[in-house]
Amino acid sequence: MSAAQSLVFIAQAWGLIGLAVAAVFLIIGISQIDEDARGAIAFRPLLVPGIMVIWPLVLWRWWLLATGRDVWKLRHKPPRKSHWVVAVAMAVLIVLTLLTSFSIRQTWPADIAPQLLQAPEAAG
Amino acid sequence: MSVKYIPVQWNKFKYIYDLTILALIMGFLWVFVHITPGVLPHQPAINPQIHNMRAFGACAYFLMTLILLIGPLARINHVFLPLLYNRRHLGVLTFFVAFSHASFVMGWYFSFSPADQYEALLGTNTSYAQLLGFPFESFGIFALFCLLVLAVTSHDFWLKFLTPRIWKSLHYLIYPAYVAVVAHIGLGVLQDQKDLTFGFIAGAGAICVAITHLVAARYERKEGDPGSQALARDNWEVICRVDDIREGYAKVACLQNGERVAVFLHEGSLSAISNACAHQNGPLGEGKIIDCLVTCPWHGFQYDVRTGRSPAPFTEKVPTYRLRVQSGNVEVDPEANPPGTPVEPVPIEQSLEGVRT
Repeated sequence: MSAAQSLVFIAQAWGLIGLAVAAVFLIIGISQIDEDARGAIAFRPLLVPGIMVIWPLVLWRWWLLATGRDVWKLRHKPPRKSHWVVAVAMAVLIVLTLLTSFSIRQTWPADIAPQLLQAPEAAG
Repeated sequence: MSVKYIPVQWNKFKYIYDLTILALIMGFLWVFVHITPGVLPHQPAINPQIHNMRAFGACAYFLMTLILLIGPLARINHVFLPLLYNRRHLGVLTFFVAFSHASFVMGWYFSFSPADQYEALLGTNTSYAQLLGFPFESFGIFALFCLLVLAVTSHDFWLKFLTPRIWKSLHYLIYPAYVAVVAHIGLGVLQDQKDLTFGFIAGAGAICVAITHLVAARYERKEGDPGSQALARDNWEVICRVDDIREGYAKVACLQNGERVAVFLHEGSLSAISNACAHQNGPLGEGKIIDCLVTCPWHGFQYDVRTGRSPAPFTEKVPTYRLRVQSGNVEVDPEANPPGTPVEPVPIEQSLEGVRT
């Protein structure tokens, strides 16, 4: 199996597992852990793609909430300190990417006469 | 605000916002397809399929640039806050535009591949060890995946389920996604174009994003919320002087434990709640009190400053803090009460009289 085939297989398997998790979570789990979801059905299909993509995270949060292990204080502590790091890292990477992209461009003289290439001679 | 979840929460403002974005997208595509061939010709010449592909790709890049400009601009100047209000809808639309670009790519380059389309996409060019001819498609795939994650987790349910902290950390993916798109363009179409005008326009957009983020981050460091001062005699912390707080507004301070507290003055009494809104952790301390309720400037969620609770029938809650006034200083117990715990407001006149006598 090539690397490309493996990647496609992994993506398909990931999505199928996610679909199974979505079915169980949306039918049974969601009403148990979120009072605002009780009796609200129409919005649930919208969650299917999200669960398919991040199903390990969904399982983890579901377990935390269902077992009462969620730490409420963390809900009110946004990751604001990382803004500065992100801003600097993004700015540096953008500049480096642009410089690299412009500097490796190949320019060809427009007035060069075309040449007919010979086919390679048969081996042996 | 949600009582029961519904598929999409629209109101008059959001309708106007979404229609404006749709008009913007259609206008961009129309200009790119119908105007640019005359003004900015693609060299070497391209066929209509590739032209459409580039139109959607350029539009997705333009929208991502816009999305990334809104955040820092709103931090620097509150005039831009209305643009922040419905940014998630803009993000979802951006994903669909980027997905259309990818669909054009797959439909044109890989439709008749003898192998599976996606295997062909991943396996055609594997020259990852060189810059020239680097498989720039991989950057596009990564960025599209990031946009997918952001789009499919945009419903309010995800904010409450994951918590704003995890949700925001997940949505930081927009930053590597943007850098990846810049690399996708830089190592892709930019290498092919003889005319550099498109390259300079795209580069200028990326530089604008980089500069506004740096300016906003610096602004937040300099003008951000002041730190509190810990007291030696107990664990309480001094936030500010009583005179520093205007009636109907708050003073925000960063506690020693990293949490932010907003101390409000309402009808002559002080109340302290968490500065982080339960919805997206918006800055509650920048809101104004009307009828005991402070409104989050980001998305309009409201809380009673005396209890930290949203008015019925809404169920959102934020932590409250105990506070006292000593010698004209506003002091807060840094141990937050569980969300929605009522705390009796502290009248400042009575406290100050105590100081004067």
